[in-house]
Amino acid sequence: MRPQEVVDYAKSLDCIHCGLCLRTCPTYQLTGAEPSSPRGRIYLMRAVAEGQLAATDPQYREEMDFCLACRHCESVCPAGVRFGEMIETARAGLEKTQPRGFLARTARRIGFGTILCSRLWLSLVASSMRLAQVTGAARLLGKLGRPLVEMPTVPPKSERAALPSSTPAAGTRRGEVAMLEGCAMRELYGRVNRATVEVLTLIGFETKVPSGHVCCGALHAHNGELEGARELARSTIEHFERCGSGPIVVNSAGCGAHMKAYGHLLADDAAWRERAGRFSARVKDFSEFVAAEMPTDLKGALGNELGTLAYDDPCHLCHGQQVRSQPRTLLERSGAARVELPDSESCCGSAGIYSMLRPNDSKAVFARKAEAFRSCGADTLVTANPGCHMQWESGLAREGVKARVLHLAEVMSAALRKAKR
Amino acid sequence: MRRELIDELLAALGPAGVIHEPARLLAYECDGLALLRQRPSVVLLPRTTEECARTMRILHREKIPVVGRGAGTGLSGGATPVEGGALIGFARMRDVLEVNVADQYARVQAGVVNVDLTLAAEKHGLFYAPDPSSQAACTIGGNVGENSGGPHCFKHGATTRHILGLVIVRDDGSVLDLSPPLADPLGYDLVGLFVGSEGMFGLATEITVRLVPTPAVTETLLAIFTDLDAACDAVSDAIAGRLEPSALEILDRLTIQAVEASVFAAGYPKEAEAVLLVEAEGSEIEVEATLAPLRAIAHKRGAIDIRRARSGAERKQLWAGRKGAFGAMGRIAPDLYVADVVVPRTKLRELVAASTRIARDKQLKLANVFHAGDGNLHPNISYDRRDADEVRRVLEASDEIMKVVVAAGGSLTGEHGVGLEKQEFMSLVFADDDLRAMCDVRRAWDPDGRLNPGKLIPVHACREMRGTGRPR
Repeated sequence: MRPQEVVDYAKSLDCIHCGLCLRTCPTYQLTGAEPSSPRGRIYLMRAVAEGQLAATDPQYREEMDFCLACRHCESVCPAGVRFGEMIETARAGLEKTQPRGFLARTARRIGFGTILCSRLWLSLVASSMRLAQVTGAARLLGKLGRPLVEMPTVPPKSERAALPSSTPAAGTRRGEVAMLEGCAMRELYGRVNRATVEVLTLIGFETKVPSGHVCCGALHAHNGELEGARELARSTIEHFERCGSGPIVVNSAGCGAHMKAYGHLLADDAAWRERAGRFSARVKDFSEFVAAEMPTDLKGALGNELGTLAYDDPCHLCHGQQVRSQPRTLLERSGAARVELPDSESCCGSAGIYSMLRPNDSKAVFARKAEAFRSCGADTLVTANPGCHMQWESGLAREGVKARVLHLAEVMSAALRKAKR
Repeated sequence: MRRELIDELLAALGPAGVIHEPARLLAYECDGLALLRQRPSVVLLPRTTEECARTMRILHREKIPVVGRGAGTGLSGGATPVEGGALIGFARMRDVLEVNVADQYARVQAGVVNVDLTLAAEKHGLFYAPDPSSQAACTIGGNVGENSGGPHCFKHGATTRHILGLVIVRDDGSVLDLSPPLADPLGYDLVGLFVGSEGMFGLATEITVRLVPTPAVTETLLAIFTDLDAACDAVSDAIAGRLEPSALEILDRLTIQAVEASVFAAGYPKEAEAVLLVEAEGSEIEVEATLAPLRAIAHKRGAIDIRRARSGAERKQLWAGRKGAFGAMGRIAPDLYVADVVVPRTKLRELVAASTRIARDKQLKLANVFHAGDGNLHPNISYDRRDADEVRRVLEASDEIMKVVVAAGGSLTGEHGVGLEKQEFMSLVFADDDLRAMCDVRRAWDPDGRLNPGKLIPVHACREMRGTGRPR
């Protein structure tokens, strides 16, 4: 394999080595080590392409794996380096140049190839996880069961039911939207999905959910499984094309950022390129869509009902989709008491499945976030992404901070409901 | 590097403090001057002055050369490693130790990022004045090493005017504490001597800096010109008129286009040939007394529009664009050579034109973005380091620019330091006796010439010094 095929050489040349990314990078913050920074990682990628560094070097793999792919660096890069795409390509390259051992390969095949693609499997896994959690079996598993013990309890089956394929608008109908139900979102945060439907219908939009759709492939892409990601992208496009051509509302920042980039993912696929571009143009984050469509006057509905809120920008919303003001606009309109969370654009350490793959690094990254939350005086943390949601719930519990974690959609549904009364 | 030595360093600093794997060392090959590269044999990241001293004692015993590194954003190769040498990085020493509001100073570890110091001071109505364009990344320690400048140094002076005290780890690992802030230094001003010594006298680990009160009023103007010469003339007029804004910056068309295409798009009009960014601070009356004549000068010199930042956010945006300019040039070519010369401010127009002509003659792409008020030009030449012929032409152009500038009464560096880049040109400005005097001072700090060797002083001037290294 030619070295230039395992990294994105052309993009690596966009980096002029100015260093403005350093301070934003969570792994550089932790270590102070240049190879653990965006600029350093790009330097290594370029060295691989130019034959200065073997793509088989274990330290090279370690630095690429250590990255959270939060894309904070992109938000401050004057040269416009597309680091998110570069790290995905580098990871995909590593799967070829440094194939994993049998066990890891099998686990990945089961995780990415089977579980994430099948509702049946997802549901089965969620049920088993819940069983292990409520019976205390997770504790008996020792180290293996620790992630289960630390994560929030998986909700009962009744809360993991499918959303109706269509929910009519409440009151005057203003249009229709399609909505992503999501793979993990439905199993772990069904209440967020229901709140999303409630908000969309309350503001006058019939809400459709494509039946049989499971996963958008974001986790695959972030972890270097680009082929699997492309397959899921094509399937996702097909599913949503069956729901008309209106907006596609996504309440998971990681999925939204990825679905907006299908055009790039399928750029080399002549049959799909344009279709993917059209699809991506329809994708809107929940906050983007609702901030544009919601009536402005909620009569200051919420007040102190949910306590004082602090909003934490999910990386793939602020850095991945440049959506920053809309969630804040919505919270303003909800009338809730609110404070700004310091450093809200820095990563919480969830980073998809990173928190499971590298729990210690993930916790170290979270420690700074917990400190920021403590200092800001809020008692409810608002997020807009299921990974971050889980990270905050388990992280705050671990740090002994009593606080509620809510998705923006949950806050808005409470506000709308109250305003209607 | 020998395994036992690595183990000893690991024992001194812990696993997070030692980088010795070849792949990871690669990332330290260069600083912001990517043209010159050398892999270090080890990188050490101490957490405290004590750890730094312990490390230096080991390296002294082993006679290993040492290069200090802040964030590696320097543009003169000051942090380029030396063959077989160690690199001591300060990226893990980033605690703000004290902000003394009453006495208006702060004490920080050397690895504190410039902007973090500003943020820490801001809460108390104070600020740290030197603000290099790389301030979101560069460290106070690096600023001390290079005596860095920045747009606001026009009014406030470069780093050296703001350093009150230092804790220095010397070549042999002994610690020199020059930290008590005294209004007037007693005895020799060692702190003053140390600032700008480019890592050749010792390693500063803790730094006491002067903070100044945030001005009551700050106004930022953007004057738009259809002609770069006219913008230069406006600045020359302002200087001649003894006006004292806090910053006077010029960006030319190519720079504007690169910035406007980036995340730091500041609303500079893309069709302008140049913009002049002006800031004034003080009381309302002082600010108006500075800006009214400046406006008149800009109009007289043909500015087609003068815009005023209407809020703090707008002002920030105007500055973010200016400060992202270096990085934004990554859109033009993979590498950028940033020259850093100072010219008499009466000759801005002719020397900007001269450097533009030199680059054009060599078929190079040149952009101008500079601290016009200080006469500190930054002719930026875009290139691709994979193209050997282009690299040769860049270096030739840089030579010619420096020669033209020195002939016109200018200087080799405004704020980036000499480093590796301009070392050979020191002889253009200094006689051998002058350089020898510098060698003498250097030898007093670093008798073995182990600290950042091969930088700043041209090789021929130090031949003598190498011959008299203290025998061990």
